[in-house]
Amino acid sequence: MELYLQFGYGMMEHCRHLLSEWGGGTAVLSPRDLSAEQLQRLSSTITKLPNGRVLLDPQFYVPHTDHERLCSHDYWPSDYATGAFWQGPALTDLLTRLRDLNSTLGTQAFVLPGLLASSIDADWLEVQRATLEEANALSCDLPLIVTIALSADATRNQEQVAVLLETAANWKPHGYYLVCEHPNGSYLVDDPNWLANVLDIISGLRLGGSQVIVGYCNHQMLAAASANASAICSGTWMNVRSFPPDKFRTAYDEEIRQRATWYYCPQALSEYKIPFLDIAHRQKILSSMTPPTELDGGYADALFSGVQPSSVGFSEQMAFRHYLHCLRGQCAAAGKAGFDETSEAHEQLLDAADALLRKLAAAGIRGQQRDFFDIVDVNRAALSLLGSTRGPMLRRNWESM
Amino acid sequence: MNGGMNITATWLATQFPELSNIQPLSRGGQKQVFSASHASDGEVVLKLMHPQQDVARTTRELVAVAQVQAARVPAILDQGTVQSSVGACFWFREQRIHGETVRGVLQRGPFQARQLLQLGLHTLESLVVAEQARIVHRDVKPENIILAPTDDFWLIDFGLARHLGLESLTATANVFGYVTWGYAPPEQCRNIKQEIDARADLFALGVTLYECATGVNPFRNGAANPLEVLKRVENDPLPRLSLQLNASRDFADLVQAMTQKRRDHRPPTSKDAHDWMKDICDQEQM
Repeated sequence: MELYLQFGYGMMEHCRHLLSEWGGGTAVLSPRDLSAEQLQRLSSTITKLPNGRVLLDPQFYVPHTDHERLCSHDYWPSDYATGAFWQGPALTDLLTRLRDLNSTLGTQAFVLPGLLASSIDADWLEVQRATLEEANALSCDLPLIVTIALSADATRNQEQVAVLLETAANWKPHGYYLVCEHPNGSYLVDDPNWLANVLDIISGLRLGGSQVIVGYCNHQMLAAASANASAICSGTWMNVRSFPPDKFRTAYDEEIRQRATWYYCPQALSEYKIPFLDIAHRQKILSSMTPPTELDGGYADALFSGVQPSSVGFSEQMAFRHYLHCLRGQCAAAGKAGFDETSEAHEQLLDAADALLRKLAAAGIRGQQRDFFDIVDVNRAALSLLGSTRGPMLRRNWESM
Repeated sequence: MNGGMNITATWLATQFPELSNIQPLSRGGQKQVFSASHASDGEVVLKLMHPQQDVARTTRELVAVAQVQAARVPAILDQGTVQSSVGACFWFREQRIHGETVRGVLQRGPFQARQLLQLGLHTLESLVVAEQARIVHRDVKPENIILAPTDDFWLIDFGLARHLGLESLTATANVFGYVTWGYAPPEQCRNIKQEIDARADLFALGVTLYECATGVNPFRNGAANPLEVLKRVENDPLPRLSLQLNASRDFADLVQAMTQKRRDHRPPTSKDAHDWMKDICDQEQM
């Protein structure tokens, strides 16, 4: 499973640095965070890197928005009226402009606009169908990727998910870009039903023969490897590590308020404020939080140099790069040769995290709202349900998916 | 008396002079079934619909079976109507398959593993042909599969079959479908017509295979009434099978997939399920 970089505020230099260090990779560009000129400049930089690729997320989730940056883009319609838009020249115009923009940016595929589904109903499905049909009718060399954007309620609704998958069986695009709102805006989702349905959607779409890219993820979505997801996307700030529909409505300047530096401990699947690393240092267990060699990009070395961690000036920049570098390694290791091997690997990851989290908690070291302690069982439950419902089909078809 | 119609051997001989040795086989709510001999067709089955019965439903069965030209589905040989004392009777004559129903075999205990695989493979072959003809059998169960002396398994009785291109006969307002409880999948039990396709037959066959493997249909076993059966069908997964086979796990996977409550969790087509079963049989060198 690959990690794509989900572009967000202040990510330009991170994208350039990381993709260069990694010898390539994919960045998902964000019109919400980049002007037209910045889109062009960044994509040019990335596509010039060896194996550098870009995708454009058109972010058409809530088209009534008056988000200044989004509306500033050429493709954004000046006048959006719900009904007529999806049935006539306005849709053709939107897709044509997006196609041309994708061509200019040199993207590897054309991510189609998709409305946020507050519920998966006939109207929303018809918009999806019409968009794909119109896109297929356009002259476009790029493979098409259908956006499926779901509210938390829609994601949690098993019947609606079943309707989505039945209907999507007829679409057959090259791929899907799946974004699912977290319940209650939470960073780590504590609802196993939500996660189980996300895995069900991923696996159902993959079994149908399409690629699946899951957008706006954090490390909890390492579980997506068990559903044979093609890639997950993640970034620096919280608003690109979970899908926040509201962030496509609000003004740009209000978005980044709290700026604390968090250290990601990959083997614990948890993030910690640096003072808690101080506690770990004083409790003589900091070494258990050192990243494994195969995941270590060196960005967090200073924290483990033997001195008090909060004294080394571990910067936000290093924290973000450390997180994404670790996550990339975890993604690459997550996908195995078959369903059983992949699921077992995730189970082992969870078991190891669980054990370490108990040890750290006993010493008073907690990740607070980014602690995975209460989430381990969520992933376990979702994985178990995936095995019961999709396991046989995934086992049978894994290699051909 | 049978729907007010007095069927005697004399009457049958008069109405069907081309048949000899006509013997009753069974009688149901809709029809009577006889075995007979035909000069050129050989051993045949004569199905005589009761006069007041729904001609449309009968015709549907005929249309369905005629289109399912599979190696192990009895062929329709002839059809017509005869006049009885209470009205016109629709009839058709089909190829007679000698043997025992799977139900009859089951009464002596669960199937041996290889015979179980044969049952699955042959029935799936018939379902593949039905699927190609856009026919859903809708009543796959041990009573409707015959084990012939040649060790072939024949799928019979398309009385509930539906052509997906034709309008449904069951009233849409019916809360429950016309089903055999314990074999029909949730969508068929609830009469959600637009959701009934070939995957409904896969569910029913999966349950049949499970029952043949273990001797028990967990949905029906000890259930107080059909509503309890329905509750189990909708909520209780079948326990996983464990057989003495090289391909035990694959077979357990296939049955588990076929019997998923949600149809999008089942193999997408009968052909997919058939190919899977074929691979299992190949592993067992059958």
